[in-house]
Amino acid sequence: MTRGSLRPLLVVLLFSVCALTVPASAWVDPPDGWKGDLAPISASDWNAQRAAHLIERAGFGATPEEISRLAEMTPERAVASLVDYEAIDASALKPFEESGIWDPGMDPFPPSRAEAVRRAREHGEGLGEKVLPPGTQRRLQPVVDKFFYSLTANNIETQRLGLWWAKRMLVTPRPLEEKLTLFWHGHFATGQNKVRDYRMLFQQNRMLRANASGNLRDLLVGILTDPGMLVYLDNGENIKSHPNENFGRELLELFTMGVGNYSERDVREAARAFTGWTNDVLTYKFDSAEHDFGNKTFLGRTGALNGDDIIDTILAQPVTGEFVAGKLYRYFVREDISSDVKAELGRSFRASGYQIKPLVRRMLLSKDFYSAPSVATQIKSPVHLVVSTYRKMGLRDVPTIPDFGRMTGGLGQTLFEPPNVAGWAGGRTWITPATLLQRGNLFRDVMFPDVKGFRPPDRAMSATDTRVGERLAQGMNITEATREGDAESNKMVDRDEDYNTRYGGYAGNLLAFKRTKPIPRQPASIDVTAMITGAHADTVDKVVDHLVHRFLSVPLADKDRAVLVSFLHDKLGSSTVRPSETLESSLRELLYLVLSTPEYQLG
Amino acid sequence: MVRCNCSRRDFIARGMYGLGLSAGLPFILNQTSAALAAQALQGTSIEKHPNRILVVIELSGGNDGLNTVVPFGDAEYYKARPKLGIPEREVIKVADGFGFHPSMVGFERLFKDGSLAVVHGCGYDHPSLSHFSSMGFWHTGVPNGGESLGWLGRVADETLDASQRNLIVNLGTSQSLAVRSRKHSPLVFDDPARFRRDGTDAEKQALAELSETRTTSNATLDFLASTAHNATESSDFVRSASSAYRTPVDYGQGGGLAGNLQRVAALIAAEMPTRLYYVTYQGNNFDTHVQQADLHSRLLMYTADAVRGFIDDVKRLGRGDDVALMIFTEFGRRVEENGSLGTDHGTATPMFIVGKSVKGGFYGKAPSLTDLDDGNLEMTTDFRRVYATMTGEWLGCSQTPAILRGQFETFKVFA
Repeated sequence: MTRGSLRPLLVVLLFSVCALTVPASAWVDPPDGWKGDLAPISASDWNAQRAAHLIERAGFGATPEEISRLAEMTPERAVASLVDYEAIDASALKPFEESGIWDPGMDPFPPSRAEAVRRAREHGEGLGEKVLPPGTQRRLQPVVDKFFYSLTANNIETQRLGLWWAKRMLVTPRPLEEKLTLFWHGHFATGQNKVRDYRMLFQQNRMLRANASGNLRDLLVGILTDPGMLVYLDNGENIKSHPNENFGRELLELFTMGVGNYSERDVREAARAFTGWTNDVLTYKFDSAEHDFGNKTFLGRTGALNGDDIIDTILAQPVTGEFVAGKLYRYFVREDISSDVKAELGRSFRASGYQIKPLVRRMLLSKDFYSAPSVATQIKSPVHLVVSTYRKMGLRDVPTIPDFGRMTGGLGQTLFEPPNVAGWAGGRTWITPATLLQRGNLFRDVMFPDVKGFRPPDRAMSATDTRVGERLAQGMNITEATREGDAESNKMVDRDEDYNTRYGGYAGNLLAFKRTKPIPRQPASIDVTAMITGAHADTVDKVVDHLVHRFLSVPLADKDRAVLVSFLHDKLGSSTVRPSETLESSLRELLYLVLSTPEYQLG
Repeated sequence: MVRCNCSRRDFIARGMYGLGLSAGLPFILNQTSAALAAQALQGTSIEKHPNRILVVIELSGGNDGLNTVVPFGDAEYYKARPKLGIPEREVIKVADGFGFHPSMVGFERLFKDGSLAVVHGCGYDHPSLSHFSSMGFWHTGVPNGGESLGWLGRVADETLDASQRNLIVNLGTSQSLAVRSRKHSPLVFDDPARFRRDGTDAEKQALAELSETRTTSNATLDFLASTAHNATESSDFVRSASSAYRTPVDYGQGGGLAGNLQRVAALIAAEMPTRLYYVTYQGNNFDTHVQQADLHSRLLMYTADAVRGFIDDVKRLGRGDDVALMIFTEFGRRVEENGSLGTDHGTATPMFIVGKSVKGGFYGKAPSLTDLDDGNLEMTTDFRRVYATMTGEWLGCSQTPAILRGQFETFKVFA
């Protein structure tokens, strides 16, 4: 094993506490007996390797300096420094700056373009835009343009919101707060694609953060009265005369109990109990006229049950504690949960009145968390992968060339855009042959940014829109400019003489670009030379060992280490590392290799 | 025709496992005794139709079958769908009492060509109305069974040579359970242009070495290494095949389905050895609870255009006889429309089989619109009969009962 050669380096890093350097300097396999043991790890077993595991899972990884600070504490103190985050001042974190894309005429936003048009025909105006006088060509075009404007503008605001959150994950002094908020975002998945109103997503994000380590009941009430979720699951359409089961079904299947623990009848009865739970744009509204006050039988309980009764009945089921605790366990600890651990965590979670913080503290302190099957066996989510890489590089801002959202999106995870109501499946589903290559390529783009060829996604024109723009500039009329192909769908764009949808898409985009703040674009300020000088790594071997130690959660096989050593040796033509004009570039190439290994996907 | 600087021969030679034996074999195995013996040595079965390709399209979210294949001859349909029912005069009538949604001009064409089979009322006993459970049942082909492998994965396990790479391709951002296999590692990608390893030759060389398969105590690491190894070997081929592809056929727009089917055509044109393609219409698009008319019309139009384009394109490539396509969704929707101009999760729904070799027409029995199970259609066709038709009749695999965990009568859709 190559970790032996790290010893001198770590002595430097961990200069303050000699006792820690011994266990930290070599990879120590945890005792077999720790697996499944929920008892807390003892101070004598605490070391930098375990502190690195803790911050990787309870946060987004850390620099060696931050890890050694955690390693100097007792395990209880280290875990408390993450879990008791309310005590940490986070006032320096910047608030999200809204562009102000929404004007009052746009509320309430119509569910579809067709509906926007229908309303505009009826009222003579829609989305704050007046219908043109009779006899004018394409009378409804301003309304259709505005409709598409809103879609694009909300997309751009959501991209900006995602970037704001990513930066918060990177620089927050309370990493567990963001890690938990991200968990709840996946658990209570809500997506911009359907909601089409970034304000709702922002509001939901704040609610999730405020309750992230609080009480499950508060979270449930929060999410079931959350405008974004009410829209996402169509609960505005859940009315007495026509109950819509979506909300009740997802509450039971995905949020609390899991499939197989209730009947179809329970779904329908829950749906009835939530009739009339709706929203007036950004506020929750109980519409008593649409609420079904009748008797319902839900999970064996009968009465004139309302939504709160449903929540309490769900929380009274032992399976609810196990389902939610089990999902948190899979997020923080590992994929497979034994039935004993699940039963115990579920029982204690329910007994505590569903307090999240003690549950998370217990998991993070347990020997089980530090046992071999738990350490470096998780595949990092795309958001974790990118944010933690930046953290380990010591960056204090999220680079915007390449674009953060595009990076994680290409790997299957876009903030505020989960794939469906079940959230991100995670684990091995993150990995396909294509995404695995991309996971490395991304960091080549970070270290060798293509500033000139960069095309910002917040100002992206589709090929169709670009063609429409070019043809209009050539003097073509709207019908000519928007004509394409002979497939049926292509013949439909101009079929309604009151408006042209393809032109609407084009014009809406232009307006959205005008009214949203552009994302400032800058590449990463990385200094790999400083990383290795700071670690006194002056030979090819030491450089490789430092970067491997700094970035990987598992040791690298001798054979693979040798590949890296010979790569750098060939680049530098020497086994000593001296400052030169090309050194930084060579080091970045080496780091690209480290970040592209199968090992780097593990956290 | 396609111009591509890669050949099937290069690809297979590079993609072979177990070079010791297979590298010595003639590239195209003739049915000679020597070749048969060599093949037997490799432990593979002799396939009846080694050139045939199956393409499966998933319409995720639960497609509203009643507004797709419209029972315009049944007054009950209009009673249950006062607002959403497709008026009889708009339906594209193709059979007695049944017709396609008006936006499905592409399907009308295919039907008139005799290349489209509609199978009525597909579903399974004790249907689940949950997207995830029901889709899981369709993916595994084992309803209410908890099977861990996908049905197409098992088809590959039973019938295809496990020493050969890339017999399964899944176009999508993540791997579908339907293609999860014990022996094969499906090739999953979304945008072929981005399916590549960046870097200098030296970097790529080093990364190829760092991506070698391994056996350690960390199963996740072994999985990552083996995926990396496969990615390294396959990406160049896929990328150049896709970027070189030009076709005059219009696949229509929308939804990514058109683009993905065109990618399949590109790989077929480049003679990728893939036998099973899995393509998803992603994003739960067909989950039309609210205001469905406009959206559903678009979805169906995109689907019909894309499928029609694909079938035209493979014919143009001279592979029309070798390609069949099957379309499914995890469930249909409730008979009665809901209060939001949409439809809620339901049960039975039609499936489609498309291809030049298909005997077009309607198969199975349409479900009754009055004899309902709690507001939902009673299925008339176990969907595994359609699966069995594809594996047994089309792919010619005799192990179909083992794969589908039971005997299912096929429809004789293929002449």
